[in-house]
Amino acid sequence: MRATFQADLDGIRNQLVMMTGHVELAMSRATTALLDADYTLADWVIDTDREIDTIKIEIDDACFQLLARQQPVATDLRVIVTALSMAADLERMGDLGAHVAKVAKLRFPESAVPPELRATVLEMAEAAQAIVAKTGSVIAGQDIERAKELEADDDIVDRLHKDLFRTLLAESWPYGVEPAIDMTLVGRYYERFADHGVRVARQVVYVVTGVMPTRRPQEWPTEET
Amino acid sequence: MDQRITSEPLTTAPSTAQPIRIDAGSSATPSTSAASGPVWSQDSAGSGSDRPGASKGVVFGANDVSVHYGSAPALVNVTLDIREREITAFIGPSGCGKSTFLRCFNRTNDLIPGAKVSGRIDYHAQNLYAKDVDAVEVRRRIGMVFQKPNPFPKSIYDNLTFGPKVNRMKVDFDEVVETSLRRAALWDEVKGKLKQNAYSLSGGQQQRLCIARALTVDPEVILMDEPCSALDPIATAHIEDLMRELEHDYTIVIVTHNMQQAARVSDRTAFFTAEIESEDDDRRFGRLVEIGDTSKIFSNPTDKRTEDYISGRFG
Repeated sequence: MRATFQADLDGIRNQLVMMTGHVELAMSRATTALLDADYTLADWVIDTDREIDTIKIEIDDACFQLLARQQPVATDLRVIVTALSMAADLERMGDLGAHVAKVAKLRFPESAVPPELRATVLEMAEAAQAIVAKTGSVIAGQDIERAKELEADDDIVDRLHKDLFRTLLAESWPYGVEPAIDMTLVGRYYERFADHGVRVARQVVYVVTGVMPTRRPQEWPTEET
Repeated sequence: MDQRITSEPLTTAPSTAQPIRIDAGSSATPSTSAASGPVWSQDSAGSGSDRPGASKGVVFGANDVSVHYGSAPALVNVTLDIREREITAFIGPSGCGKSTFLRCFNRTNDLIPGAKVSGRIDYHAQNLYAKDVDAVEVRRRIGMVFQKPNPFPKSIYDNLTFGPKVNRMKVDFDEVVETSLRRAALWDEVKGKLKQNAYSLSGGQQQRLCIARALTVDPEVILMDEPCSALDPIATAHIEDLMRELEHDYTIVIVTHNMQQAARVSDRTAFFTAEIESEDDDRRFGRLVEIGDTSKIFSNPTDKRTEDYISGRFG
């Protein structure tokens, strides 16, 4: 029963999964553009961000229509309310990718990343991308066990973010103020990106269990509760 | 009216042991506003032990209640409480026994040939089905409003004085009429035509008249069996607003097929399901699946069958 409604709900879920894919690719290319000073690639990321914004608006509109016309309750209602929130987070993640790309463009033809920090930046970027990839599979499979893993994955990004700061604030930092500001911002972008990804995954836990999870996965509800 | 008088409160005649609250306030101009004080609750001290004050007590305790029509079960093993001054909604598909169960609370199943109620229903801790309980007094305390408005083919005024007359209540009829119409949010619409036939009213007005009529005999509980299913959305909204008003002073139990209505008006919701008794002839009987706060039932119900039903994926 309610086949059309179910198809609409599935459609929203698929769009969210698709958004995680776009966001992951955008951040991956933004990182390449940043490290390799690739102006064209940075432009691509900024254009893609506009497409991500469009998908967000489409999801909002679909949710609004279903709220107005289907009177969803219980799980259906949670799917729709969380989709609005998840789409907003993913849209913001797209913006953060574009911010990284803008830093790359700003320092072109030089790379904005000093050699000492290339490894840390790359590590942070990969960890953040891994989070959004996992978030996509959490949404697609409504997999709350994987959602729990993301809390620990996010701790890795936070640790790298601290490492980055330690380097920037060291007495021996040789590059002056401007690169320090760039790296502070870039570090912050990856850290926020990862955080939004984790927030999206938490919404899935709410959809499945009906209980909004806290920061501590050991306190999270299980499917049976 | 020939009412036995015993020590059990439910068996006493209302005009003797039970003070009639309608004239206890003796206010010349009763107010419609709940904020200015419920007119019927202005009890003098010592009266109305059946309506305790602030605490939300249990009005009905149903324990392992089953109903059979002849040998066929209609509803089996229902245990739940109905709380005071709350709106409890019964929802569920056709054949789940929710209306049958509602009728248990004022013993109107007694009037159906072959109907047999087993288990126990307590009304303020007295067995509602005890031998010496007067079913007429039960139905005065526990009023009922039906699916289709069923005013008597009489004037609006006479519809409202009928109950007090047959119950021999010593009240000022004009005051009963005005107070009950005000409480039912109908006074302003009909005050100039009280002598007109009740059938001249619209369906929604007729239903509010039936609610007003239920109030004239000073009940504690109002049972509503699909009170809005014959009404348009505006009349439905009137009745729903009215229910919220009445909730301050009355306990309301409503059976509804409209789940959004249950979600909008009720404090607690009970979901019943119809189980197939025999595949051969598709006979069904009802069972309670769960009862809980309406906010919980419609956001995160415990039982998957409830979720499937309220989200329209039943069957």
